[in-house]
Amino acid sequence: MLRLLRTLSWRHVQRHRLRTLLTFLGITLGVGVIVAIAVVNRSLTGSFQSTIEKIAGKAVLQVSNGESGIIESALPVIRDTPGVQDAAAAVEGFLPVRGAEKERLYVYGVDLLTDTAIRDHKFVGAKSDFDQALDFISQPDSIALTESFSRRLNLPLGTKIILTTSRGKQDYTVRALLREEGMAKVFGGNLALMDLPVAQQALGKEGKLDIVDLTVEEGQKIEAVKERLTQRLQGSAEVERPTKRGEQIELLLTSFRVGLFFVSLIALFVGFFLIYNTVSVSVIQRKREIGTLRCLGMKRGELLRLIVVEALVLALIGSLAGSVFGWLLAQLALVAVGETVGNLFSLVDLGPGIFTLRELGLSLASGIAVAVLAALHPALEAIRVSPLENARQTAWSPSFRGKKSWATRLGLFCLVASPLIIFLPSPLHGPVQQFSVGVIGMLVFLLGLAFLCPLIINNGVRWFWHWALRLPGSSWVEARLASDSLRRNPVRSGITVATLVISLAAIFTIAAFVNSVRGSLLAWVDQMVTADLIVSSGARTAGPRNVPLKEDPLSGLKAIPGVKIVDLYRLIRSSYQGQPIVIESFSARESAKVRTLPMASGDGARALREMGEGRGVIISESFQSRFGKSVNDTIELTTPSGRIAFRILAVYVDYSSDVGSVLIDRALYKRYWRDELVDAFDLWLDAGADQQAVIANIKEQYGEPYQLFISTHGELRKAVVHIMEQSFVVNYAVEIVAVVVAIFSVINTLLASILDRTREIGVLRAIGATQAQVRRIVVLEAGWMGVLGGVLGLFAGTIMSYHHVVYNTKVLTGWTFQFYYPYDVAVLSVVASVILCVIAGYGPSKQAAATPIVAAIGYE
Amino acid sequence: MIRCIDVRKVYRQGNNEITALDGVSLDIAKGEFAVIMGPSGSGKSTLLHLIGGLDRPTSGELLVDQRLVGQMADDQVTLFRRTRIGFIFQFFNLLPTLSALENVALPFVLDGRSKEEAEQRAKMLLDKVGLENRKDHLPEEMSGGEIQRIAVARALAFDPPILLADEPTGNLDSRTGESILSLLHQINREAGCTIVMVTHSQEAAGYGGRTIFFRDGKVEKESI
Repeated sequence: MLRLLRTLSWRHVQRHRLRTLLTFLGITLGVGVIVAIAVVNRSLTGSFQSTIEKIAGKAVLQVSNGESGIIESALPVIRDTPGVQDAAAAVEGFLPVRGAEKERLYVYGVDLLTDTAIRDHKFVGAKSDFDQALDFISQPDSIALTESFSRRLNLPLGTKIILTTSRGKQDYTVRALLREEGMAKVFGGNLALMDLPVAQQALGKEGKLDIVDLTVEEGQKIEAVKERLTQRLQGSAEVERPTKRGEQIELLLTSFRVGLFFVSLIALFVGFFLIYNTVSVSVIQRKREIGTLRCLGMKRGELLRLIVVEALVLALIGSLAGSVFGWLLAQLALVAVGETVGNLFSLVDLGPGIFTLRELGLSLASGIAVAVLAALHPALEAIRVSPLENARQTAWSPSFRGKKSWATRLGLFCLVASPLIIFLPSPLHGPVQQFSVGVIGMLVFLLGLAFLCPLIINNGVRWFWHWALRLPGSSWVEARLASDSLRRNPVRSGITVATLVISLAAIFTIAAFVNSVRGSLLAWVDQMVTADLIVSSGARTAGPRNVPLKEDPLSGLKAIPGVKIVDLYRLIRSSYQGQPIVIESFSARESAKVRTLPMASGDGARALREMGEGRGVIISESFQSRFGKSVNDTIELTTPSGRIAFRILAVYVDYSSDVGSVLIDRALYKRYWRDELVDAFDLWLDAGADQQAVIANIKEQYGEPYQLFISTHGELRKAVVHIMEQSFVVNYAVEIVAVVVAIFSVINTLLASILDRTREIGVLRAIGATQAQVRRIVVLEAGWMGVLGGVLGLFAGTIMSYHHVVYNTKVLTGWTFQFYYPYDVAVLSVVASVILCVIAGYGPSKQAAATPIVAAIGYE
Repeated sequence: MIRCIDVRKVYRQGNNEITALDGVSLDIAKGEFAVIMGPSGSGKSTLLHLIGGLDRPTSGELLVDQRLVGQMADDQVTLFRRTRIGFIFQFFNLLPTLSALENVALPFVLDGRSKEEAEQRAKMLLDKVGLENRKDHLPEEMSGGEIQRIAVARALAFDPPILLADEPTGNLDSRTGESILSLLHQINREAGCTIVMVTHSQEAAGYGGRTIFFRDGKVEKESI
């Protein structure tokens, strides 16, 4: 076998470098996307876990309550719990650095005297860590930076650093430098250590703690201590192992990660068809060789093994290259994903992508499995042909028996099975599982359409050339020969058209999804955010980049001429039944008259009024679908004041998070959460008020100290769309891969088609067809494929996108999106499909036109 | 009509050079029916390909219908071949997906004639070879003799002054072969068309006016 590979296969590869390169690139691209997304997913979860582990130090248990925090007075209760050895409290948050745009410091406030029991802080040049700590605490503006941050921003010991805090800008003096070990390595060294009270003030968390890290006494069971703590805290905080905290953040990202996986599945699907196509072409090209081998006594099994092993070898090399390409792609994707996750969920310390044996195994398994599967059918078809038939170098192609062919039957079966998979009750529960069933249903539909492509070509293309008569610059015979060529080998043409259909359907589904999300989101923003101006610090939208402010500017803002109403908006991450949720609050009493709430169920105005009276909360539809709660049910939330039960007044539409939101009146929120921070000041202006004058006034009074973002409604819309678009960057990258793979597929098919018709091309040239005429025939053939692929792809994409937007997204996220059909993308995708195919056909057309006539007509 | 002066054709295969024609000089007059014979590899088909402009000589001069075909640009030689030369092949070489009428109409269509004109002229040509009633049939639905007649009709599309036939009866039984040769003879006699036919068959050679024998890329002898 090895000798055959070395002699026959290797020589064939050398002779057909372009085709081998196309197959190789197909595998590399497909595997690359899968690996990249796997690396991104792993790095994402890995980085959260690693950050938490580094920060957790020796802690075996952590007491926390999301961003709701814990009341500081709970610390003695925790510390005195039997079994607890050491307890170190901390507050945390991100603060922007003045004078260094985009730089944010992860501020960690600890009691340095007790914290060493949990974490080792190594200070540069200190006599002892304890002495350093005493010096540090004794001065209230002390800040410790990491060596790398200090070096990068040129902030040596004794220099000042200005941070934008919840009280506006504050000066701190660099009094210690941390060696880059353990905790100091998190967030790429963008870490600042502060004394606990100083950090509490900077973050606006006076009297509150974010986390208490614990070690337990020797001989004590961790679970028993955890149980004791839970009882003593009476629902005011949760006690978990540090790893559990990482899992909570992972849960936040579930939909995002599932979406990425879905996208990688599409890439694999498209790659499969390219590999199938190229392996088929390889078998066609080696017809005479296969025939000779059969005549010389090679058994069918041996031949089958040779073809499959060839595919295996190519897949192995392609997969290895795909691993490298995937890793490189992941580095680019991680930047985009890090930005998205930072905007939407939590700032993340994404280092270089994690590539382990697991990713290597995934790349080899996917590449090899797909290549072998793809090679099997053409190989089986090839060995069925008799040696005599093989020896004739007339074109061979996989047989097609029209309606009776297995492809047609399988296609019809898939089309019938697809709605059954989607709409029949699934035995699987959970949003991810049900989403997966929906995706499988869609892929089965797509597969069904792909299998029907040969039949569609066989029956449909015969009419094409009539239309071509009306095309300028092409004669009927060129059009006819081009369409005949497609029909002559419906299976091979079908595979290419199917690749186009799948690529286009995938692209269109993503485009329609993005369009629907954009449309729904903007409609939602228009309904939800009625304020004329939104004033925030650190970022334009509430989220991880935003710096929550104290209420201090409220009275000043109210006093600005032209300002009618000021409402305070707050958004924090919390948990319900161990799952992450979001708590949103504003003062319904203040703004009920000017606010509207997009409702999923219930009367919005009444719900807002009741909420303002403190009679309950409004939940989002994601919350409703995740926890099965509805109007008039009661939910018990973990607040710093203990567990509090709230009645559900209504269900509203909220696209700010898919984990589920609870909307609560600010007065109630402040009472139970003991939190006076504000993420955004929503301002409604008097009729006829000069908006620009108000903005100038706010900037003058508060702009500089608070580093404010003052957004008009339009600017907020833009910011929301920008964040949304950014979250689809990886999807767009996959779209590009799908397009490239489809183009490869067209080139491959045309090369095979030319090979098929070498003699015919020779005859045409012999009886007087010019090179330009031959070129036009091949380009026209490519154009037909583009038309068919475009129209069928659009059809499939329309159905798939509707299902994805209306049903699948609802299942995964609980969000109800309106379906906005992207007409521009629809037209563009068909036109682009034709144009790209025509361009792809140009190279093969030149090759066809340059076919030596004498050799071609002797091609028998 | 055809003049070859010291025509050589050398093919390169890897590092080897294969001399297909080795200084061939000959004249074929207008209206002549010349038959080229010789063993396989003697260069007879190569000469036919050079005359038809399907290939170019390595050296020497080749005048066909007063044109130096070896020196013409590809598009020029293609147009020349389309209108001035008719080809008949051993394996018929009809396009399998086109009907008999469409196959015959092909040269007209390639020349930019309207479909109607092309089909009208193709019908006349089919009538000429006695196959008007088979015009809508595909090649696979016809016998070898019928297919070759269609090929002859196609070759006559522009009433070319030169007809090149490469083993036109090589794939036919003797009776069908005879009918094709009679047809060629008739065309030569009635239309005054110069015919150059390559064949292995002595019987076929009998239809020609002059027989040229090739061996090792050279003209070995001639007989009238």
